[in-house]
Amino acid sequence: MEKLSLKQHILFFSLLTACFFVCLCIGSVPIALSESVDILYKALMGVEQSSTSASILIFVRLPRVTSTGLVGASLAISGAAMQGLLQNPLADGGTLGTSAGAALGAVLSIAFDITLPSFALAGTAIMAILFSFISLIIVMSIAYAVDKNFTNNTIILMGVIFSMFAGSLISLVMAFSGEKLRSITFWTMGSLAGADFSNIVLLLLSLIPSSLVLMLNAREINAFSLGENEALHIGVNVKKVKIALLIAVSCLIGTAVSVGGSIGFVGLIVPHALRIKFSGNYKKLLPLCLYAGAIFLMLTDLLARTILSPVELPIGVVTSFVGAIVFVVIYAGRKRNA
Amino acid sequence: MQKKTAILLTLVMALAMFTAIADGLTVKDFEGREIKLSKPAERIVVLMPADCEILYAIGAGDKIVGRGEYCNYPAEVLEIETVKSGQEMNLEQVLALKPDLVIATKMAHSKENIEALEKAGVPSLVVDAQNIEDVYKVIELIGKVVGMENNAQELIAEMQKGFEEVITKVDGKKLGKVYYEVSPLQWGLWAAGGGTFMDEIGNMLGLENIFAKEAAWAQVSEEQVIKLNPDYIVTTTMYFGEGPKPAEEILSRKGWEGITAVKNEDVYNADNDMITRPGPRLVDAVRDFYEFLYENEAADKAA
Repeated sequence: MEKLSLKQHILFFSLLTACFFVCLCIGSVPIALSESVDILYKALMGVEQSSTSASILIFVRLPRVTSTGLVGASLAISGAAMQGLLQNPLADGGTLGTSAGAALGAVLSIAFDITLPSFALAGTAIMAILFSFISLIIVMSIAYAVDKNFTNNTIILMGVIFSMFAGSLISLVMAFSGEKLRSITFWTMGSLAGADFSNIVLLLLSLIPSSLVLMLNAREINAFSLGENEALHIGVNVKKVKIALLIAVSCLIGTAVSVGGSIGFVGLIVPHALRIKFSGNYKKLLPLCLYAGAIFLMLTDLLARTILSPVELPIGVVTSFVGAIVFVVIYAGRKRNA
Repeated sequence: MQKKTAILLTLVMALAMFTAIADGLTVKDFEGREIKLSKPAERIVVLMPADCEILYAIGAGDKIVGRGEYCNYPAEVLEIETVKSGQEMNLEQVLALKPDLVIATKMAHSKENIEALEKAGVPSLVVDAQNIEDVYKVIELIGKVVGMENNAQELIAEMQKGFEEVITKVDGKKLGKVYYEVSPLQWGLWAAGGGTFMDEIGNMLGLENIFAKEAAWAQVSEEQVIKLNPDYIVTTTMYFGEGPKPAEEILSRKGWEGITAVKNEDVYNADNDMITRPGPRLVDAVRDFYEFLYENEAADKAA
C-alpha cells in the first residue's frame, strides 16, 4: 500500500468534516445544535440573518475554524517535509527557527508599514515567507559550516540558537515601535482570534500550490529520507528538488505565522503520530498530514477557546504543552533505539 | 571642670543628633517599609509615568533627575535623562544619577530591584495604587517625601472635587453595559476586567463592565463580546496615522453589526495614558469620558 487509498481518503475526509462541524457547534457561547444547523442551512441558501447566534457562527466561528484547519494543515505538512528532506525526526518550523524567522519578517513589515494596499496581510505574509526562507538557508548553511556531517543535533542546535536570535530581534523591533506592537503573546504563543475570510483566501493561496509541490515530490522526499547520497544515486536532481521543497515549506510557514502567530510543535507531533500509526512513506504521510494537521489544530483551538471561557488561552500554550511532552518521548525513544 | 565640659559637649552633640533625626522624615511605603530621609528629597529618579505626573502636579518636577523610559507627560519631562524601568531596571544607570530617592512601583519592580537599591544605599519609595483611593495615598506620600504636603493635599482636594462634580452630574443614572478593549482583534482580544481604573471610572459614570468578573487584563473570546452585547465600547488602541482609526475598525468588524454599541456608533477611543495611569489625569479621563457618554448623547437625541 504505497498511496492513500480512496477508502482512506473518504475516511479521513469524513473525519475532518465531522470535526469541523463539532468545532463549529461548540464555543464560548453555547448555541444549540439544531439552531447551528438551521443557521448554516439558511446561510447556504443565502438568507440574510441578523441574530446574535448567526453573527457568532457565521462571522466569528466559521472563519476561525476554517483558518485554524488550514494553518494546522500547513504546519503539519511542512513539518513532515522538513523531517524527510533533512532526515531529521526533530525538524519542524519551530525547532529550525523558521517560524521565528517568519515572525521577525511579519513584525518588521508591521513596524515599517510594508503593506500591499489592495490586500490586507499580504505584505506581512510576503515578508514572513521571505524571512522564513532566509532563516532556513542561514540555519542550514551555519549548521553545514560548523559540522560537515550535517548531523541532526547540529541542525537542531543551530535552529534553536537562530530562534533565540530572531526572538531577540523581534523584542528589539517591538521596543522601538512601542505601543504599536505591544501584543507580544501573539508572536510567541499565537492566536487565531479575529481570523476572517481574507485570511482563508491567503492561506489557501499558499497551501494549495505548496502542498501540491510537496506531494508531487513525495518520491524524492522518500529518497532524501534515506540520505542525500542515496537520493543522488536514485537519480534525484538534489539541488533543484531541495530548493523547490524549501520554498514550498517557507510559503506554508510564512503564511501560517502571519495569520496565526507562532504556534509551536504542530509540525512535529502530527507527522510523528502518523508515522507510528500508519506509515513512514511520504506518498501516504503528506496527504495524511493535511487531514490530521487540520483536525489536530481545530481541536486544540477548540480547547483553547472554551476551556477557560469567557477567557481564551493562546493556542500555542496548548500545542506547546502537548508538543513538549511528545517531543521528549520521541527523543527518549530514539536514544533507546540507537 | 574638664569632665563637666566633656559631659556638656556630649549632651550638646546628642541633642544635635536628636534634632537632626527629628528634622529628618520617616514615611511608610506601600510595602510597609519605613523610609528615613534626613531631609526632603532633592534628586529623584522616578521610574513610572503616573508618579512622574504626580511630581509635576504638586510642583516638584524640578527635583526629578532621572525618569523611567515611559514617563512622557508633561512634555517638559522629555528633556530629563531616561533610565530603564520595570524588570529591566539598571542599577548602575540609576546610581550614576546620584539620586537621594528612587520612586518605584510594586507591580513593575521586583523585590530584587528594590533590595539592590537598598544595598547601594539609595532609599526607595515603593507605591502601588490599585484604585482612586490609593492614588490619593500615593500623592500624599510623595508630597511628604519632597516636603510639599500642602500642595499634595491641594491636588487631592482638586481631584476629589473633579470626581464629585461628575458623580453629581451622573446622579446615579445607569447607562448600561460597556466593553473595554485594550488589544484589538488582530492580535487576539484583550479586555480590561474588574479592579482596573477603567472599571472604576465606568462605574462612576453608570456603566457596567461586561467582563467585571475577569482578572484585571484578560484575553477574552470574541463570541462573548457579541453575546454580552455591550451598549458602549471603549478602546485604548492608539492610532498611528495609517489604516482605519481604532473606533472605525471596531465599527467595521464582521459579525459585530448586531451589537448595540456598534449600531449606535457608541465606540469611544480613550487616551490610553490618561485612563490607565494611576495619576492626576484620571480626573481628565473621567471628564472626557463623561462628555462622550452624556453630552454627545444629548446632542444625538436633539438632532
